[in-house]
Amino acid sequence: MNHRLSNLLKGFLTYFLLTLGAAVIVVPLFWMISTSLKGTDALFAYPPEWVPRPPVWRNYIDAWRMLPFGRFLLNTLFITVLAMAAELLTTSLVAYGFARFQFRGRNVLFFILLCTMMLPGVVTMIPSFLIWAKLKQVDTFVPLTVGAWFAWGPAYIFMMRQFFLTIPREMEEAAVMDGANVVQIYWHIMLPLIRPALLAIGVLAFQGNWNNFQGPLIYLNTMENFPMILGLKFFEQSLSKEAPMWNYMMAMSVLMAVPILGLFFAAQRYFIEGLNVGGVKG
Amino acid sequence: MSNPYLYTLVRWLAVGGAIILLMFATYGFLRAMKARRSTAIGYALILPWLLGLVIWQLFPIVASLFLSFTEYDVLTPPRWVGLQNYRDMFTRDPRFWPSVRLTVLYSVISVPLGMLGALATATLLAREVRGVGFWRTLYYVPAVLPAAATALLWRWMFASRGLINSLLMPVYNLLGMEPLSWFSDERLVLPSFIIMSFWGVFGANTVILLAALKNVPKELKEAARVDGASSWTVFWRITVPMISPALLYVMIMGIIGAMQNFTAPLFIKTPGGAGTFLNVYVYQQGFTQFKMGYASAVAWFLMLLIMILTALVWKWSDAYVYYEGEVRNQ
Repeated sequence: MNHRLSNLLKGFLTYFLLTLGAAVIVVPLFWMISTSLKGTDALFAYPPEWVPRPPVWRNYIDAWRMLPFGRFLLNTLFITVLAMAAELLTTSLVAYGFARFQFRGRNVLFFILLCTMMLPGVVTMIPSFLIWAKLKQVDTFVPLTVGAWFAWGPAYIFMMRQFFLTIPREMEEAAVMDGANVVQIYWHIMLPLIRPALLAIGVLAFQGNWNNFQGPLIYLNTMENFPMILGLKFFEQSLSKEAPMWNYMMAMSVLMAVPILGLFFAAQRYFIEGLNVGGVKG
Repeated sequence: MSNPYLYTLVRWLAVGGAIILLMFATYGFLRAMKARRSTAIGYALILPWLLGLVIWQLFPIVASLFLSFTEYDVLTPPRWVGLQNYRDMFTRDPRFWPSVRLTVLYSVISVPLGMLGALATATLLAREVRGVGFWRTLYYVPAVLPAAATALLWRWMFASRGLINSLLMPVYNLLGMEPLSWFSDERLVLPSFIIMSFWGVFGANTVILLAALKNVPKELKEAARVDGASSWTVFWRITVPMISPALLYVMIMGIIGAMQNFTAPLFIKTPGGAGTFLNVYVYQQGFTQFKMGYASAVAWFLMLLIMILTALVWKWSDAYVYYEGEVRNQ
């Protein structure tokens, strides 16, 4: 009896705490959306107005038109897709090499790869910029996309290698018997088998490039070349001079977050699986 | 450069094609040198990463060390000044030490607290709650949002007449105090950043720790319970040691990330640069003042600081982290 009561209490406490945590997460999100639908005079109302009446949908259109956000969106998509494609192809090739082939120095090189996971990007930032400046590629999308061919992201390589290691070798051995070469095995057998990992890392890479701020900030100067995030920064600077237009800024923040959230919800099963493989044996 | 997309696409395809050709060339070359087949294929496959390591990691590290001993404004060639940058940084620059203080305090406070929060959440979720997937996804949402959007949102909530002060109004009235100014008050900048950081860290860390908790063998815990251990003891003596590798991973990655906090502080205005984290300071010195040499010195200092902190955590963890299957000498 006593035991059952204490279990009941525990269960209640668990859900209570979980709900409390959920509220901490949901309330700011709700506030973001709510603010984005408010008229300027309702922004600072006290007590706070939770559901704007009536919702000002025009905020989204007005904010979008204040800067060339259509162009910014196109730039973001362009950068993100090119960088992500190059990252996925090269990191999976490198991971395949580390997972399946014996060569001298492999363990040392893999150890170096793990070390670079911890290398702070701050030391490489300035020389990398100087290299691109020497190549006269500053203020183009080149530094943000072409660099991805060099297997950006040691963490992605690590996660993909873990996935390759879970695939039984018999799959390839059978293919070798049939006379397939490495390129064919990689493309026709290995890639389809690691599809969950590709999806998970695809989402991570998409998110990384979409949300990247430091790269565009350093390399891009002309407004025409801005991705969404620099547009948001410019917006923030020009709008917060006098009375900040928080409704417009929140509207643009919501728009920036929606594609990422959509992708996350669509692929979250793979996404979380991928995180686990990478993290558990950190 | 009429069409920037075409311009980039051409170069993107050219470099991609060149790397793939180089991979085949490596294989051919190694085979011609009578290397074993697996060696040739292995090196060919990891070539993109090897090239990246040399061009975008090793060379830049050496180059930035060299630059840190020079004065360099990009337009004129670098001029060797010896230890001048470091001397200025440590003794003359009035903005350097406050920035170090902010960065270190932020990391040392927010990372362990965030880890405890994530551990608590993961422990709750590991209790066979209904709809784990739902909760896990919900807690993950802040981690997916762009840091820029999160920063703007919190700056808005922390505004003097923003949501948080509105909600705290009864408390202010009760205590008879003025509303706090959060990011606009120099003394409150650090706590405000720490509070904001909690919102983002839960997601990924909770997921990693939850997976680790699920891997703790049930028999171990049950055996301890049979021997009369309380659930509190079981948690600290069995569960925590069993998941300590995951905790260490979360802690170290958290510190490396927090020390390089960049996006959020650039989207949040603070009085008199009170919110200038070291990474932001490197950016300002290098890319707005064009003092690339000085910025490199600060960057190197920041890297050393991160390495020292990581090493300390590692060393300290050595006594606590338990790897299954590892044989201890002592």
